[in-house]
This record gives sequence, structure tokens and C-alpha cells, in this order.
Amino acid sequence: MNRLNALLAGASALALLAGPASAGEYVEWQDDGSVLLKLSPEYDSAVIEVPAGELGSLFGPDEQPFAGDEITVLTLDSGPKGGISGPIYAFRPVFEELTGAKVNIALVPISELYTKIFLDLRNGTGEYDGMIVGAFMYGDLIDGNYILPVDDWQQSGDFPAWSYDVMPDALRTIYTWDGVGYGVLSDADGQVLYYRRDLLNDPEHQAAFKAEHGYDMPVPPATLQQLRDIAAYFDGKNFDANDPEPDSGVVLHLKVREQGLYHFMTLATSFAVTPGELSETQGVYWFNPTDMTPLINSPGHVKALEYLKDLAQFGPDAQVSWSLGEAWDYFLRGKAVFNFSYGDVAPLAQDESRSNIRGKIGSTILPASDTYWDMNKQEFVTTDTPRKVGNVTGGSWHGVVSSLSDSPETTYAFWSLMATKPISKWLATYGWDGVDPGYSYQFLEPVGEAKLEDYLAAGWDATDVQEYLQAYYDNFNAEVMLPYLRITGTQEYYDILDSNLSAAMSGAKTPQQALDDTAAGWEQVTDRLGREKQLEAYQAAIGWQG
Amino acid sequence: MRWTSSVRNFFLMPAVIWVLVFTIFPLGYSLYAAFHNVTNETIVNRMEVPRLDKAGEPVLRPDGTPRMKTEVVRETVTKWEFVGLDNFKRLFTDTVLHEAIKVTAIFVGVGLAIQMTLGLALAMLFNRDMPGRSLLRTIMILPIFTTPVAAGYLFFTIFYEEGGPLGWTGIPWLSNPSWALFSVIVVDVWQWTPFCFLVFLAALQGIPDELLEAVKLDTNSNWTTFREVLLPLLMPTIVIVLLLRFAEAMKVFDIVASLTVGGPGNATQSLSYLAFRTGLRFFDVGYASAIAYTLLALVMVVVTILFKRIRTIYA
Repeated sequence: MNRLNALLAGASALALLAGPASAGEYVEWQDDGSVLLKLSPEYDSAVIEVPAGELGSLFGPDEQPFAGDEITVLTLDSGPKGGISGPIYAFRPVFEELTGAKVNIALVPISELYTKIFLDLRNGTGEYDGMIVGAFMYGDLIDGNYILPVDDWQQSGDFPAWSYDVMPDALRTIYTWDGVGYGVLSDADGQVLYYRRDLLNDPEHQAAFKAEHGYDMPVPPATLQQLRDIAAYFDGKNFDANDPEPDSGVVLHLKVREQGLYHFMTLATSFAVTPGELSETQGVYWFNPTDMTPLINSPGHVKALEYLKDLAQFGPDAQVSWSLGEAWDYFLRGKAVFNFSYGDVAPLAQDESRSNIRGKIGSTILPASDTYWDMNKQEFVTTDTPRKVGNVTGGSWHGVVSSLSDSPETTYAFWSLMATKPISKWLATYGWDGVDPGYSYQFLEPVGEAKLEDYLAAGWDATDVQEYLQAYYDNFNAEVMLPYLRITGTQEYYDILDSNLSAAMSGAKTPQQALDDTAAGWEQVTDRLGREKQLEAYQAAIGWQG
Repeated sequence: MRWTSSVRNFFLMPAVIWVLVFTIFPLGYSLYAAFHNVTNETIVNRMEVPRLDKAGEPVLRPDGTPRMKTEVVRETVTKWEFVGLDNFKRLFTDTVLHEAIKVTAIFVGVGLAIQMTLGLALAMLFNRDMPGRSLLRTIMILPIFTTPVAAGYLFFTIFYEEGGPLGWTGIPWLSNPSWALFSVIVVDVWQWTPFCFLVFLAALQGIPDELLEAVKLDTNSNWTTFREVLLPLLMPTIVIVLLLRFAEAMKVFDIVASLTVGGPGNATQSLSYLAFRTGLRFFDVGYASAIAYTLLALVMVVVTILFKRIRTIYA
């Protein structure tokens, strides 16, 4: 990270030679048409250079376009230097100096974010001008007319510039609704497989694995079945030299009412989705698109849960009660070979104060199952060419503007400042901020615009970052994607699935029983919310033409 | 001096207002909600008005047109759709609710049994001269003053299975459904046994020494003394403590929310936690009210039985 600071300091020194037209504590307007945005020492005094034109026509050295405005934004609480909330803290003073507005930050734990947001919106309190939301909340947000479209502001040229065009289709879809933009570019969530590159490539382990399983250990594994074999092989061995304890084949974050269900959602796609053009039996995952009958207890889903349970035995028992942080920490300490999770893991692995695996972490799009449930044939089919399935699993946490806000333009300006290319790119290179890469300028050339040097300067290991960005590029641009559920009541559908998955993973229910109970619970929710209305929303969400 | 009825009413007024606002109104409101499907709709009207500078003059764009800002007028409408007994009918088919009732019953039954027994045993132990008794007694009651949420988080670190202080036991404190419920009970026992201890000790110290000395003339057996003399004398106190603890334990929420969030699965989801999540997570206010009334009914039944028992004892 120090190298980047030196680089940025050098860049800013060069810019300063040109002479500042106007210099403030956090914002410095240069004569050459650039603006230096300077973060506080807590954020390594990083300096980000933004072309003045990208800040929008409202902004200028003698302008404070929102002077006197005061806005409150709500975000999940990871602290001033934690994921998602960190950037808001980092750029608040910059924005305040730039605009003259005052920004208040309201924090809640991630588990309470949904409740806090919707209590405010449903009761019409309007305490928050903007909120960080997960894309799965859109069904409820749009249904209640709770958030404002941002397209007009975005295209006006008045505000900091960013674009949906840099997003892969899968991400663009979840930031918008029916073609209208509501979310301001920020995080890009999806789950990929992280593995210990050093261990899988070790000749001794290679030979031992072959002797045990009868085939060469593939690096990375191409199928979920291979992944299971490799996890089984490594589980119980002490490959972490830092302690005498045996280590694990895999580590998962399975805590109920956190983000435990996402493992299953991601993994089940290649088991449960029948390939082909979208129809009643093909390309569908959540519900039957003609009558909203849940598909979640299909044989493919059940097999996926059986697989996940089988895989979990090669991880620590405690993972059933672990949220993201605990599972990541276990993996970063070098105590597991595999973890499939969000884009935060590889950046965090570069921080050697908490990671033992810098330079050893491989990344790849999640392997697929070689067996899937064919809904047309009503039987399992085994294939030699498993489909790699991409996902945008997670929240892709980003800012929206409340329709109750008295200062929507100011709120939008705040979110859009952090969405500008220089800042968004800067955020993606760092591990602490929770803003994961997914946009064209964050991927390496030739598929993207970023240069390897950008990441090396931020302290990345070259191979780690190349594999990491390629994995995410492959994931977001996969031919087949896990359909993203975001109809009204998604939070409740998710919660029922989540508690039943947790019951299955902790041994309280069988996979079949857990998913049958989920389906029954979903039917009740659908009936309560109105089957016709839900069906219409679901059909729209998956692009069903009838 | 005899107070006039208006003076008496004046002094009674704060208590009456308190009960009306914080007891009767919520009870009535939630009962009404239990028979309805409650939805909120916020109607928002937005107006574009010129942005003014400090001098009150319109702020102009470079092209001379005024810069606009938004003013919002909002109105929230709560819709009450009468659904009769639908919410109560759901209680009979909701397996998650049945699981929560079972969890709450185990939590209350096992937790109270341990707290009462342990509290009484400790009170007996401390009801005698011993060095440092005052200090030990003070230390003993400290957990009562801990906020339950803080206790939950504290025990989360203690029960942490990978490197926590009790990690060496190999017990899946939070990751196994049965052990997780036991862990929640342990926290409650840790926090509330001192309360039982304190009340029992006070009751024991209220028993006259002469009585105990007289008993010693008849028997040397401690067990007989306890069973035939102390226990009957303590019975009113035991029932009162049981009643207080029962009513409190049935509402368990904080420890569950901070220690297990109801998991794994729904293995530690109490009735209160379920009602909270139904009402404030899924905004199904009508059904949440029905659940709350179920909880109230369960508490009322047991409390009524205990009150009858108290009356019998005193009679």
C-alpha cells in the first residue's frame, strides 16, 4: 500500500508543480483541469486525481452547490475502515468540502439493515435521504415506490460522472428495474472459488492425491465433484505450519440470518437448472414461471444440498455458526484449502498483517456439477462438459435515493462521487473497503482497461490479482447465470430458505425435509402476498415471455 | 385532614395515564391488529422549487436559468383490512411457531429448574457465618446488573468454538441445535441465578433462629429440617420467584438475538424473537400480534395457576 501512496504522492507533487487554482484540506482544484481529492491520514492520506469535468457542471473551485443542505445516509456497519461503510466515511469530508453540504452517517448491523430501511420507508418517517441497499431489496423498494430513479440526474451532466455501460449485463440488471436506473454504481458481488494455489500445485500432494483418488489433481478443480475429492484429501492434514492443529479441506460461512444461504444458492445452480432457452422447465431456478410453484425442493436442489452437506464435513464444525468474517479469517490464516465467497477474500489476503496466504491464493469461477437434474426428462443427467454458471449472489451493496428525501440531488451527488471511475477503480484495488470489482475499468487488459501496475502499486501479488480478476470476469460474463430473486417479499423467502438450510447443515433436518419445508413456507408467503401479483413480478424479473 | 376525591384523583392520574398509554393502549391496538392485515402506504408528492442562496436570491445556472431543488410532501396511510380469525388460524398450521413454542418451553422449563435449584442451594450455603461472605455475596449478584445483550455477546466469545476459552472442550456450543439451546440457557442461568439466590437468602434470613433451634430438638437430620420446615416456610417466596422468573423468561429475546440469532436453523428461536421478526422484519403486523397474544395467553394461564397456588399457601 505504501508504494501506491508514494506513487500517488508523486502524482500529486507533479500536479502541485502545475500550481493549485484552489486548495482546500480535502479538495484541490488544479490549473491543468484536474482535481485532487485527498483522504485523511486514517486512509493513508491517499490522493485521487479526478478530471474536473468528471465531477459535473455544478462543481467548481468557487462553487459549493449544496451549501446548507444536510443529508443522512444509512449503511451497514463495518466501522470507519470496514467494508461498505468505510468508503462513506473516507469520502464524506471530501464531499462536504466540495459541496458545502453536511453528511450524517447512520449505522446498523447488516442483520438489521433491512428492518431499519423499511421501517423508515413504510412509516413515511424519511429519516434517511439515502440508503445502502442489497439488490435483493429491490422488489420491496420498487413495489412501495420508495426510491427515486437516477437516470435524469446521471444524464444531466450536473453531477459526478459514471455509467451503467461499464457493467456486465448481470450487474446492470440488478442495479436497474425494468430498464430504469435506481442504484448508483458501487459494489459488485458474486461468489467465486478461492483455493490454495501453492498446495494444489505441490508435487508431493499431487502424487499423494493421485494415489488416493486415481486421477491427477486438477488445478483448479473443474467440477464440484473434483473439488470435493480435493477437500477430502487435504482435510485433517496439517499443511499450515503456524500451528500444530490439523487443517481443513474447506471453510464455509453458514450462520443463519447472516449470509449462510448464499453458498447453497450459488452452488445449486449447476445441479438444478436445466440447460436451454427459458421455458417452464429450462433455465428456471426459483419458481415455476406459470404458477409460482416453488422449485426449491426439486431433485436437483436436494442433490445440491446433499452435496453441500457432504462438502461441509471437510470444514471445521464451528462453521455452522460462522458469518463471513470468521470463515474468511480461518481461510486467511491458512487453515483451509478452499473457500467460495465474495470478492473481498483475495484483497484481504494481500494484507499480511492478517493473512498468511499472500501469493498463495488462487481464484476461479465456481466449478460446476457434472450431474444435473433435467426437468424435461425428469432424471439426473451426467455430462462430460459441465456448464460453468456465473452468479451475482449477494447484495452488490450500493446507494439509492429515498423518495422521502428532502435533498435528493445532494444525496445522489454523494453516491455518484464515489461512483466516478477514478474513485471506483481506487476502491477496487484495496482490501478494506468491501467494494468488489466487476466493471470494465477494474478488469485487466485485454478484457478490461486496468493495468497490472495499478494493482501491484496497491500491494497485490501479481499472480493472485491476475487470477482473481479473471475469475470475476469469467463469473460475471458467464453464458449461464443464476437468476437473481428480487420480487416483493424476497427477504421473507430468503429467510425461510436460510433457516431451513441452517437446520439441514446442523443436522436438525434432512436436505429433502429442509427443502420441502422451504417450499411449503414459500407457498404460504406467495398466497399471503398475492399469487397473481407475485407471479407477474417473477415473470418480469426473469424475462418470461409466456 | 381528609382529602377530597378530586385531590385523590389528581394523585392517581399519573398512574392511570401510565397504565392507559403503556399497557391498555398497546394491548388494545395489538388485539385490533391481530384481526387485520395491516399495510402502510406512503403517498409522496414532489415539487421542484428554485434553490435560493443565503441572501434569498435564486441560484442561477451558467445559462441563466434557475437551479431547482426538490420539496417533498408526504402522507402515510395505514390500511386495515379485516381478516377475522385468519391470523389466529395460521397459528395452528405454522410449524415455525410450533418450534418456537417448544424452544421457549424448554428454555423456561430447564432454565428455571436450574436457576431455582442452584439459587436455593447457594442461599443455603451462604446462610451461615463464613469468612468473606459479604464480598462473595456481592460478587455473586454482579451478573444481574449485566445488560442481557452484552451478556449474549460476552458468551458468544466464550462459546467460540475455534480458539475460544471453552474451545478445548470440543463441545459444539453454538453450531449444534441442542447445544446452542443449552448455551442460551446457560447464559440465562448465569444471569438470573443470583436473583433467585438473593431472594431466597433474604427469606432464609427471615426465619427466626429460635424456630430452627427448636427443630434441632426433634431431629438432627438436615434433610428432614429442610424438607419439613424450611421448604414449607420458603414456599411463598419460591412461588413468587418462580412467577417473576417465569414471566421474564417467557419473553427471552436479547440473549437469543445477540448469541445465536435464533439458530442454527430455528433451534433457539423463542416466541418473542419470532414475534419481533414477523412484525418488524417481514412487517406482517397482524400475525405478529396474534403470536404475541399466544405468548400472553400462555403466560396468563401459568401465572393464574401460580397465583392460585400462592393463595392456597397463604390460606
